[in-house]
Amino acid sequence: MPDHVQTNPTGAEAEDIQIPDVSGGLIDRAVYADPKLYRLELRRIFARAWNFMCHETQIPDAGDYFINYIGEDQVIVVRGEDGAVRVLLNTCRHRGNALCRAELGNTRTFVCSYHGWTYGLDGKLIGIPGKADFYRDAIDQDKSGLVQAAKVDHYRGFYFATLDPGAPSLFDYLGDVGRVGMESMLNHGDVVALDGVQKNVIDCNWKIAVDNLFDWYHVKVSHNSASRVGFLNQAAMMPMTQMVMLGELGHAIGGPMVTQEEQARLDALSDEERLAIDALPDAERLKVTPTMRRPLRSSATKEAMGPVGVRATGHPNIFPNLWISTRGMQLSLRLPRGPGRTEIWWFTVMPKSFTDQQRRAAKKFITHAFGPAGLLEQDDGENWSQSTMSSLGVASRRHPHNMQMAMGQDEVLVDPSGQKAIETRVNEHAQRWTYRCWAEWLRARDWPELMATRSSSPTGRL
Amino acid sequence: MVLQYEVEQFLYREAALLDDRRFAEWLALIDDDIHYWMPIRRTVTVENLRLEYAKADGMAYFDDDKADLRMRVEKLQSNSAWSENPPSRTRHLVSNVRILEVKGDEIALEAAIHLYRSRLNDKIDNWIGKRRDRLRRVDGDFRIFERHIFLDQTVVLSTNFSSLF
Repeated sequence: MPDHVQTNPTGAEAEDIQIPDVSGGLIDRAVYADPKLYRLELRRIFARAWNFMCHETQIPDAGDYFINYIGEDQVIVVRGEDGAVRVLLNTCRHRGNALCRAELGNTRTFVCSYHGWTYGLDGKLIGIPGKADFYRDAIDQDKSGLVQAAKVDHYRGFYFATLDPGAPSLFDYLGDVGRVGMESMLNHGDVVALDGVQKNVIDCNWKIAVDNLFDWYHVKVSHNSASRVGFLNQAAMMPMTQMVMLGELGHAIGGPMVTQEEQARLDALSDEERLAIDALPDAERLKVTPTMRRPLRSSATKEAMGPVGVRATGHPNIFPNLWISTRGMQLSLRLPRGPGRTEIWWFTVMPKSFTDQQRRAAKKFITHAFGPAGLLEQDDGENWSQSTMSSLGVASRRHPHNMQMAMGQDEVLVDPSGQKAIETRVNEHAQRWTYRCWAEWLRARDWPELMATRSSSPTGRL
Repeated sequence: MVLQYEVEQFLYREAALLDDRRFAEWLALIDDDIHYWMPIRRTVTVENLRLEYAKADGMAYFDDDKADLRMRVEKLQSNSAWSENPPSRTRHLVSNVRILEVKGDEIALEAAIHLYRSRLNDKIDNWIGKRRDRLRRVDGDFRIFERHIFLDQTVVLSTNFSSLF
């Protein structure tokens, strides 16, 4: 790591920022509006965390690149001649210009459009125009390569990067709950990314978009019109049985579940029988399936997710901002663009084993659920935007958001396998957990301090 | 010349139905085999222009058949479609209409579109792009059986697409 890269600046600016106490389920609205808190989030959350970059099938060949963000740092995710995936800051070491202005593509080099500094796919500076004539060779070319992410790794083809060399491994970072989330995309083995990432901008704080993914309370009201026209089955979306898993560092899963009885019936079926049931048309499937939840997870998936995790069919969030959604076929990033602005990205992946017909059917459901034109998502953005904007009012700001649903009313059950979960009704446990961990990330000055002070996955009454 | 006039008048009437929120009447102009599609467009370099649009078998913003559009219209007509209650004010401007092909009763055309949306008191969206429509003559009028919308934005700078194009 070159010494000029400050991944954990702990200047005075950070010390005098009041980090609101969120332990009682009351969230100070400054959390959604304060520019100082926002700057601290960029430094102590995004520049420190493992951030999702892309799926390996989006950049299969040497020279393929995809642009993403780590906080407000734009990065180039690029496959080198050696096949390795690297994550490079998209900023020229000369005058900071963006080297790459496209969203994706294939190239042999990155040439700066300002003065022509040229970098290889591995980030090395391979050309400086006028090096002899103007610099008179008094420039150290080897020291001016593109800044690389401190660590790049993948989980079964899903690439992540962190800017902080002190970060734990991706595997450890994800922990049990994060890995359960990742495995929910791999039920049918390896996946392939569909071409096209939907992207749109909502005037809301990124955390409101994040905590909404655990919010099964809003479905009935926010998405009422989608239910009325028959797109959404409220009974399936908002059952009285819900499961919550809370993972260290802020990962969580919340939403519908497969009950133990349903799982026992599912376990009695062969993997072939499970596939056959999922291939039936909805109405036919309902008559024979042991659970309404889709997809029926395989015995190998149960092995990978664990006996409790396999029954969690709600929404995982990989802290800070990666929602694994839509039956494990979509990933949504909530990318911060200032305290009051968020870019929403939707990646879609499908099992390589899917037939054309299965792929078309899944694509149809996905296209109509999410994205800016999605029958569900259409009605979310304005709510999030108004919730964010009210944080600017002086009087409004005096009254915190209330996230106290089911607080102190549920019990964390510990399975003999060690996996922990709450089985309950609609609740706000995962939201409270997200903000509790968020505050821990902001208070800790570096990774060692975060690891020493972060909450363990809770047990007992919650 | 007559066909050009007829087609333009049809497109203006259709646009007015959307702007006046007469969605059921608009839907009646859509034929049963409609493909209503807005692909994902991306910023790419000149060398990579072949990647500008996501592939047809990839993801899209709209990829609708008649049943999907009917669902969208029903949704727009319900009072609980919050993205449209209070309703947006829209203006569909259609211009630069060029007839590309006439084959029997079917007409292929391309037009420049500008959809302006004024939302609440302070939100404005301008969606500008090109539309490729295919019309067919039915009962002395036209029906649309293909509408492909190519926006000039890449990242959609809007909260949602709750309007029809």
